[in-house]
Amino acid sequence: MDGIDLMAAAMHAARTRLDVSASNLANASSAGFRRRIARATLTERGLAVATALDRRQGPLERTGRTFDLAAVGGSLFVRDPRGAVVAERSASFSLDATGALVDERGRALLGERGLVRATSGATVDARGVVRDDGNVLDRIRLSPGASVESGFIERSNVDSIGEMVDVLAAQRAFETAEKTLAAIDETRAKDANDVARVKS
Amino acid sequence: MNRALYAAATGMAAQQQTLDVVADNLANADVPGFKRAAATFGAIGDNLGTTALGIRRLFEQGKLERSGGPFDVAIDGAGFFALERDGRHAYTRNGSFVRASDGTLRNADGWRLAGIRVPADATAVDVASDGRVSIDLAGGKHREIGRIRLALFAAPERLRSIGSALFAATREAGAPTTVAAGGARGPKLAFGMLERANVSIIEAMMAILAAQRAYEANAKGVQAADEMQRIANNLHRG
Repeated sequence: MDGIDLMAAAMHAARTRLDVSASNLANASSAGFRRRIARATLTERGLAVATALDRRQGPLERTGRTFDLAAVGGSLFVRDPRGAVVAERSASFSLDATGALVDERGRALLGERGLVRATSGATVDARGVVRDDGNVLDRIRLSPGASVESGFIERSNVDSIGEMVDVLAAQRAFETAEKTLAAIDETRAKDANDVARVKS
Repeated sequence: MNRALYAAATGMAAQQQTLDVVADNLANADVPGFKRAAATFGAIGDNLGTTALGIRRLFEQGKLERSGGPFDVAIDGAGFFALERDGRHAYTRNGSFVRASDGTLRNADGWRLAGIRVPADATAVDVASDGRVSIDLAGGKHREIGRIRLALFAAPERLRSIGSALFAATREAGAPTTVAAGGARGPKLAFGMLERANVSIIEAMMAILAAQRAYEANAKGVQAADEMQRIANNLHRG
């Protein structure tokens, strides 16, 4: 690895950091979104960036809608249209014509008896029990130890200020690497051209 | 590939859409029975930005307000007034009606309240909380002329909006079931009242400010991505 390769890797790393921060910023309004973290490490091939998920819970926002659900300390489960079961932290469900609770991506909420079927007047308690006028309809399937908040949506855990700082930092890191690369290039140009001139 | 540029652009588009929806809510804040909408977003791909999942309509009850109109009715609870025009059906919670020359009760766009016709010799009209419509006739006589029935949908949030407080049935919303008002848990009608739009001006203003700031932040992301691309393009200065 010479200086030019190292600087090229550094520019690449800065670009990835910007990709991550830009996408995080774009998702500041996506309910339940978990921000990605870009971690740069120095390897023998120069700077390399790995991304990870920031699993911290986002703030809960009160919406007052019964079927806006946020799992606290775990997750609830939905079945996507292809039949796969997905763990989810928070989603806005609404009744479909069959009485199933479906979120905006068309995924149905799972209970202990299969799909949760509810009525427009139903309530959901912290243990996930769905009741209509006292009658238990179903219980939402939750991961062990989790509880559920009805009437709340978990907001994105993106901190816009922090992401803005990361955008600026990535941009400056890119510029620094580029300047260094240009300086190395200039030195080498001198080596090549001036040494040749002395000889002739 | 300049991912950051496109990811930041999706964020700008999302905030733009939020502004459109909030502006529409504000524009309809004085329409009785109007239900506010909210745009929702979700992440796409691996750091590719965000996309609109859809626009939700939120059917929370609006405040009932005394209006003084001679044929104003508000729904306290779930359900819609069933309307007809030229053989088509529509549903609304805007109970602001006027009496047309043929005795039917119509809203401002000419949609007719199904099932009610007020005779020409009526001196006053009253609607009970269970929807029964009665009229006063000359000489102190009363007569019941019909009952306003409400349409209930299994999934009202999936109705299609066809006007500022007007909805059309869809397959996803389910077929409307007709119910009488006034049951123990059912909806009730309030005569001489209107349901205000469920739009909070303060919340809408806050949403506008937040969307503006988020838009600016994403615009900065676009700028940074563009600036990096410019620097990269100038690497080879010759």
